[in-house]
Amino acid sequence: MGSQLKNIAAPDFKEVIGLLHKKTTIWPYLLIAPALIVILAVVFVPAVNAILMSFQSYDLRRPSQIGFIGLENYMEVFQDSLFWSSLVRTALWVIFGVGFQFIFGFILALLLNRKFKGRGIARSISLIPWVTPGVLIGLMWRWIYDGSYGVLNDILLRLHLIQDKIPYLAQESTSFPSVVVTIIWQGIPFFALMLMAGLQGVPNELYEAADIDGANKLQQLFRVTIPSIKNTIYVTTLLRIIWVANSVDVIFNMTGGGPAYSSQTLSVYIFNKANSLNLGYSSAMSILLTLLLLLVAVPYLKNMFKNQEA
Amino acid sequence: MRESKNKTLKIFTLYLPLLVLLVFLLFPFYWTLVTSLKPEQELYGSTVTYWPMHTTFDSYHKLFVDFNFLKPMSNSFVVAIITTILSLAVSVLAAYAFSRYRFKGRKAFMMLFLTNNMFPTVLLLIPLYSIMRNIGILYTPMSLVLSYTTFTIPFSVWLLNGYLNDLPMSLEEAALVDGCNRAKAFLRIILPILIPCLVATGVYIFMTSWNEYTFAVMFTNEANRTIPVALKNLIGQLGVQWDLLTAGGIITIIPVCIMFFFAQKRLVEGLTAGAVKG
Amino acid sequence: MKRFLSITLALTMSMTMLTACAQKPAESQPASSAAETSSAASKPVTITHWYWADNSDYSAKMQEMVKDFNATNKSNITVVAQEYPWDGGAYSENLFTAAMGGGGPDTAAWKLTSTPLFTSNKLLANLDNYIANWKDKDDIDPSLYNTMKQAGGSDSIYVMPWNTQVLYVYYRPSMFKAAGVSVPKTYDEFLEACKKLTRDTDGDGKIDVYGFGMRGAKGGQEPWGSFVWARGGDFENLTTPEAIAGMQDFIDLYKNGYAPKTAPTDGFNEIIANFKSGKTAMTIHHIGSSKDMVKTFGDDVAAFPFPAGKKQWTSMGDTENVIFEKCQNKDAAFEWLAYLATGKGQETWCVTTGNVPVSKRVQQMDEFQNNEFMKVSIEGQFSAGIFPILDTTTEWINTTWPNTVASALSGKTSAADAMKTLQEGLYGKK
Repeated sequence: MGSQLKNIAAPDFKEVIGLLHKKTTIWPYLLIAPALIVILAVVFVPAVNAILMSFQSYDLRRPSQIGFIGLENYMEVFQDSLFWSSLVRTALWVIFGVGFQFIFGFILALLLNRKFKGRGIARSISLIPWVTPGVLIGLMWRWIYDGSYGVLNDILLRLHLIQDKIPYLAQESTSFPSVVVTIIWQGIPFFALMLMAGLQGVPNELYEAADIDGANKLQQLFRVTIPSIKNTIYVTTLLRIIWVANSVDVIFNMTGGGPAYSSQTLSVYIFNKANSLNLGYSSAMSILLTLLLLLVAVPYLKNMFKNQEA
Repeated sequence: MRESKNKTLKIFTLYLPLLVLLVFLLFPFYWTLVTSLKPEQELYGSTVTYWPMHTTFDSYHKLFVDFNFLKPMSNSFVVAIITTILSLAVSVLAAYAFSRYRFKGRKAFMMLFLTNNMFPTVLLLIPLYSIMRNIGILYTPMSLVLSYTTFTIPFSVWLLNGYLNDLPMSLEEAALVDGCNRAKAFLRIILPILIPCLVATGVYIFMTSWNEYTFAVMFTNEANRTIPVALKNLIGQLGVQWDLLTAGGIITIIPVCIMFFFAQKRLVEGLTAGAVKG
Repeated sequence: MKRFLSITLALTMSMTMLTACAQKPAESQPASSAAETSSAASKPVTITHWYWADNSDYSAKMQEMVKDFNATNKSNITVVAQEYPWDGGAYSENLFTAAMGGGGPDTAAWKLTSTPLFTSNKLLANLDNYIANWKDKDDIDPSLYNTMKQAGGSDSIYVMPWNTQVLYVYYRPSMFKAAGVSVPKTYDEFLEACKKLTRDTDGDGKIDVYGFGMRGAKGGQEPWGSFVWARGGDFENLTTPEAIAGMQDFIDLYKNGYAPKTAPTDGFNEIIANFKSGKTAMTIHHIGSSKDMVKTFGDDVAAFPFPAGKKQWTSMGDTENVIFEKCQNKDAAFEWLAYLATGKGQETWCVTTGNVPVSKRVQQMDEFQNNEFMKVSIEGQFSAGIFPILDTTTEWINTTWPNTVASALSGKTSAADAMKTLQEGLYGKK
C-alpha cells in the first residue's frame, strides 16, 4: 500500500509542515465552515433570543408585562425549592442513568465484538430500544409498570418476590427509580454501538503483545482496550451526559414528573414551565442548566485537550 | 478435553451474560408485539397472558389499509436518510479539522459545538418555526432535515473527533512523508479505517431523526407527517388505541433492524479495508 | 473580541442570504397565506382547519364532514383539514407556537381553557358581528354564548360553540345489587356507596372491587371539583373550611382504600380500564365513553348525575372552534364554523361522538332524545360549570393540581395545605 502511494502526487511540503509543526493554515477553517454555518444559521437567532428572554419578564400569558427585569428571574429561580429538588434529581438521573448505560453498554460491546454464530442478528436486535420511537417507549414502560395490569407485577408475583401488586409509578418512593431503569434500557445500545465501533480501531498487535507478556483477559481490558479507546469513551460519555440531562420525553410520557414532583428533573421542569409559556423563567433555568453542564464538561475537556497535546 | 472446557468458559463469559442483557433489552419489544396481537378484553383481563389467547391481526390490517401507514414511514425514511448523509458529510470534514489541525480558536469552536446541544429545544421552538416559515421550507421535509442536522452535526463532529483521536497517526504521517497530499491521505488511509465509526455515527444520526417528535409535529402537515407524529395521533382524549399504537411501533422497528443487520457488517470491515495489518 | 465580531457579521450575512433567496417559494404553505382578495362569493377560497381526533374513527368522520361541506357549500369554499395529535393537551400549545410564529391555520378546533392566552396575544378573530348577523344565532342557548364570553375575559365572543359533555357517574348495576346499594340521591349516600361497594369478592383477603375509580392524574380536577362543591365550597376561594372538607373527602376515599392504589397516576385510560375490567364499581366521565361501555357491558352499565350535597356541581367538558385573526377570508371561515355548530356538521359529529349538541334543533333529534346517557347529561346540565379560566389555569391543570393532589393523597400534605397551594397556583400568592 505504501509503495503505491509513493507514486501519486507531488509532495506538498506546506501540508506536511502543517501537520508536523502544527502551523495554521486556512484549511481547518474551510473544513469546519459548512458545519458551523448550518448550526449558526438555525440556532444563533433563537439562542440569543432565549438568553435575552432570561433577563425579561417574558410570560406569553401576560404579553402586556413583557420587559427587562435584570436578574429577577434568576433570583426567583434560586428561591424556588422545586428548582433545587429538580437539580438534585437531575444529578442522580445523570449519574445512575449514564453510569449504568455505560457499564452495560460496554459489556455488551465487548460481547458483541467477539466472534460467535448469530452475531449479526444479536447486534441488530440489541439496537431495538434505540429504534423504538420515544412516544412508544414511555407508553410501553408505563404499561409494563402498570399497577393493575402490568406484566412486571405479574412476573414478580409468580416468582413470589412480592406479595402485593406495586403501583410503581404512582408512589413517590418508586416512580423515580422506575424511570431511571427505563432510561438505562434506552441508552445501552448507544454505548454498545459507539464503543463497538471504537474497538475496531484497536490494533491486534497490542493484544498479541499483551498475550506474550502473560496478561490475562481482565488485565488486557484495562491495559490495552480501555487506553486504546480512551478518547471514544470520553466523548461518548460526555455527549451522553448532555443528552440524558436534557432528555424530557421518557419522564414526561411516563409520569409527567409526578407524583408530587417526585420524578421531575430540571429538564422536565423547564419543559413544563416552557409549555405553560413562562418563557423568561424557563430560559433562566435553561441557562443555569447549560452552565452547569459546561461545568461538568470542563474537567473532561481539560483532560481531553491535554491528552491531545501530548 | 480442552475444547469442552473452552465451551463451558464461553457459556459463562459470553452466552450467559449476553442472554441476560438481551432479555432485558428485548422484553419491552416482545411485550409490544404481544400487546399488538391481543384483543382489548385480554389487555385488561384479570390474568396477564404471555401469548395472546386470541391472536388478531386487525390492527395491522387497519394500519396499512385504512391509514396508509406506509406514507409516514416513507416520509420518515426520506428525512432520516437525507439528514444522515448531510450530517455525516459535513461532520467528517469538521471532525478531521479538529483532530488533525491545530489552529486558533479550535477549542472555542469545539466548545461552541458542544454548547449547541446543551440548551433545551422547547425554548427555541417559536423562533425556529418563524425562521422555517420565512425561508419558505415550513411543511416540507427540508425543514426537518435542517433542524435535525443542526442538532446531529455537533454530536457527530464530537463523536468522529473522538474516534479520529484514537486512531494512530503514524500511518497518515507516513503517507504524507511519502508524498501524498492531505486529501489523498484522508481518502485512502483514514476514511477506510473510519468506516465502522462512520456507520456507528450514521446510525446515531438516523435514530435521532427517526424518533424526533417536537420539531416533527410543528414543521410538518398531513402530507409529510413522520412516524412519531402519526403514532401520537393515535392517542386522543379518549385514551390510547393500544392495538394500533403497538402495531405501528412494531412496523417501524422491524425495517430499521433489518437495515442495521446489513449495516453492521461494515462495523468490522474497517481494519481489514484500511490495511493496517499489511 | 475581533473574532466574535467577524463571526457575528458572517452569520448575519449568511442568514440574510438564506432568507432572501428562499423567500420566493414561501407560497408552498397551504392556504394559510392564500388569496389576498376579500372573499367574493364566487372566487375559490381555501380554509385551513386544524383539529385533533380522539380515535381513528373520529378522524375519518372529520374528513368525511369536510368533504361534505366542500361539496355542498355555495360560496366556493374548500376546507383543508389537518389533523394534529391531542398529546395530552399539547395540541393547544402547538397551535400557539404556530400562531406566534406567524403561521398556523385559519380555523381550529378548540378548548376553552386556552382562550385567555390567545386573546391576550391578539391571535383570535372577534366573532361578535358574525354572530349578531347570523340566521342560526338563536339555535344556540344564550347561556353558552355567555360561557364563551367569560372564557375570553371580555364582552366579546371569540369562540364558536360546537359541542359539550357533562360529567356524570357511571356505575355497574350488578355490583350495586351484589353490595345491596341503591343509586345514591345525596352526596353522603354517594360516599357511603363508595365504601360499601369496595369488596373482596373471592375471599382471598384482597380487595377485588373498589367503590370509586378515582382520577388523580391530569384531568382529575374535573371530578374532584364536584367534591369541593358538594361540601359547600367553590372555586373562588379554595381555602374555605367547606372546600377543605371536600378535599378531605377525596383524600379519605383513597386513604380508606375505596379507590385503587394507583389513583395518583390514573388518568383517563386507567379509570376507564379499571371500570371496564370490573375493578371499580363507579367512575366519573362523560358521554364520550358511553358507546364503549355499552359495548363491553350491554345492560350492566348505567349512569346518574353527581349527587347534591350542600351544593351541586359537575364539570362541563367542551369543544369549540375559533377563527384566527390573520385569516384572510373570515366570512368563509365563519360559514364553515356555522356548518359545524348548527348545520349538517353538528348532526354528524354529535351522532358519531355521542357528545351533547349545542344546537337546539339537533338536540331534539331522536338519537339524542332516546339515549339514556344523553338524558343523564341533560339532567346534569343545570349544575354543570367550568373552572375559572384565568391565564394560570392551563399550568394549574397540567402540573399544580396533579402534583399537589398526589402529595395530599400520599399523606405528605394535609388537605388544608394542599388547598392553599392550589389557591395560590390559580390566583397567585397573596
